[in-house]
Amino acid sequence: MPSASLVFQSVVLGVLLGGLYALLAAGLTLYFGVMRVVMIAHSAFLILAAYLAWYAHRETGIDPLLTLVVTVPLFFAAGVAMQRLLLTRLRPATLTMMSVLLTFSVALTIEGLLGYAFSGTQRRIRLGYSSAGFEFLGARIAAVKLIAFGMAALALLGLYVLMKHSRFGQALRATIQHREAAQLLGIDTDRIAGYGFGLGLATAAVGGTALALDTTIYPSLHWHWIGPLMAIIVVGGLGSVPGAAIAAMTLGMLQSLLQLELSTTWAQTVFYVALFATLAFRPQGFFGGRLAQRF
Amino acid sequence: MIGVSLPLTGDFSEPGKGVERGYKAWAKIVNDKGGLLGRKVELKILDDQSNADRVVSDYEQLIGRDEVDLVFGPFSTRLVVPSARVAEEYGMLFVEPAGAAPEVFDQGFKNLFYAAPAVANDHYNHLADYLLALPANERPKTVAYAAMDDPFAQGTAYGLKEKLEKGGVKTVVDEVYPPNTTDFGSIAAKIADSKADMVVGGSQYQDGVNLIVALQQLDYQPKMAAFSTAPTEPEFAKAIGNKTEGILAPTGYTQKADYPSNKEFVEKYTKQFGKAPEEDEANAYTTGQVVAAAVEAADCASQDPECQSKLVDWLRGNEVETVVGPLKWDDKGRPQSAHMIQQWIDGEIQIVLPEAQKEADLVHPKPAW
Repeated sequence: MPSASLVFQSVVLGVLLGGLYALLAAGLTLYFGVMRVVMIAHSAFLILAAYLAWYAHRETGIDPLLTLVVTVPLFFAAGVAMQRLLLTRLRPATLTMMSVLLTFSVALTIEGLLGYAFSGTQRRIRLGYSSAGFEFLGARIAAVKLIAFGMAALALLGLYVLMKHSRFGQALRATIQHREAAQLLGIDTDRIAGYGFGLGLATAAVGGTALALDTTIYPSLHWHWIGPLMAIIVVGGLGSVPGAAIAAMTLGMLQSLLQLELSTTWAQTVFYVALFATLAFRPQGFFGGRLAQRF
Repeated sequence: MIGVSLPLTGDFSEPGKGVERGYKAWAKIVNDKGGLLGRKVELKILDDQSNADRVVSDYEQLIGRDEVDLVFGPFSTRLVVPSARVAEEYGMLFVEPAGAAPEVFDQGFKNLFYAAPAVANDHYNHLADYLLALPANERPKTVAYAAMDDPFAQGTAYGLKEKLEKGGVKTVVDEVYPPNTTDFGSIAAKIADSKADMVVGGSQYQDGVNLIVALQQLDYQPKMAAFSTAPTEPEFAKAIGNKTEGILAPTGYTQKADYPSNKEFVEKYTKQFGKAPEEDEANAYTTGQVVAAAVEAADCASQDPECQSKLVDWLRGNEVETVVGPLKWDDKGRPQSAHMIQQWIDGEIQIVLPEAQKEADLVHPKPAW
């Protein structure tokens, strides 16, 4: 039996991990919600953001968090451009399937360019506070993990407020719920969809930077992330941001606790077990309600 | 002409390129001296993309269609085993720089030789001897092991585990994690909670670094810490913010080693590539030296079965001087030397074991990290 202190430590780690998962998955669920696009390249953009943070830090010594000032707008613009220039060209009838292929190739392109620019060498941001931490009720909390969690919380809260309380958010939700009806009400759904995609990619900028604080990065790392992230948004209910957040927290926590009794290999399979269970018993997702109907 | 397939892209591209540089350095040095048996050495290098199927067809092509005279091995156990099978089928001598896991030597290959001082399970041998010779009150009583699910990385940690357990040292954590693990928080939590006197990592580069940082984040302070591969990489200290003091690692190669051919290698390699060679480069170079020694002794280099069997027989019975020291092999191709143990002392990695080669005394218990 693991000791009580180890269980508590694992819960703390699970919460921190879950928060990061939630942030990383938020963008994915947004793309699917807005326009039924399965965005395989999302995790490649995460790694791209991580590389930009690492590169800026190496060249100028600035804190990786400051790179957000540049990367967030940049990724937003890239998202809008990607939606307007590439995804709108796909035929609506085959959009979901073809978007997988299209974004797959985008992911490969990003991976290739990263490898070309920075080589396959594994990189890590060297921060003064990388291994710093503090005591919390007997458990240790690492500073970088807490910062990443804070970034996730802020980004998700910002996203929530934007979706619930701004005109753009209303328009985006209307577009998600019923595109034609939204158009009848005078919403330029194409423009809104572009912004929605940009917003998703902007979360990738935040997520990638958070990731860079505490992971070693290399160009092909994104393949390790896309599986768990896809599992999270399916379990959470495709298109539901709160659903994805709850699923991320639950699975992060489960992974961390299962680790106590089982090996790492088994703990990691929790994502796929959850994915199978969801598809078999509740295809609309466990936390999101009807497919893409709610925010 | 010598045929090689290497993982120049894909998972093993970094070490793969290191091995390529080692081979190229060897070819250049040999050619500058007039070649092998008076012929110029030419390398034909294919890229197998770190893919075990590709590596098989690459060697089929090299031997069958390109009719190379000799072959060198690729990088990593996962590619060495399938390619060695091809070489065996054609009766070619197969010297390889990077297949140290036990399974390489369990296949019954008759033509295979590993061009490095020791197989994975023997990497920590000097450390095991040192620990078991300590007085009982200084010897670690409990050890936590974490190893990557990879034949090489796991082999290093388990070699030590076996010996220490036999010596009565208790194993309190024994974790195996898949190669794609990115989060080490939970594994670190288990290790920290066990309060083991010593932590041993059977690691490659990235996981070793991540695990060490995760342990430091939990403020776990073991009396000893040993990790394979990662601490000997040049990027290591930078990656973990120089909190390296006291970390131990086995290594098969050091630029400072006193062997005559090593001095030449380091000097000429540095001139050719602008930086000093690391372990991958050295093992590749060693492969070249081993094959060259056999070729000169047997006075032949061709696919002719008689020639190839002469090469194999000669290596079976003789010792070769290399940049990693004199090497000889048992009947399964396992080298009969041992790895040195290095430790980070005063911000520098120095040899601490064995006695005969040490540059500094082993620091025990290690300072807090």
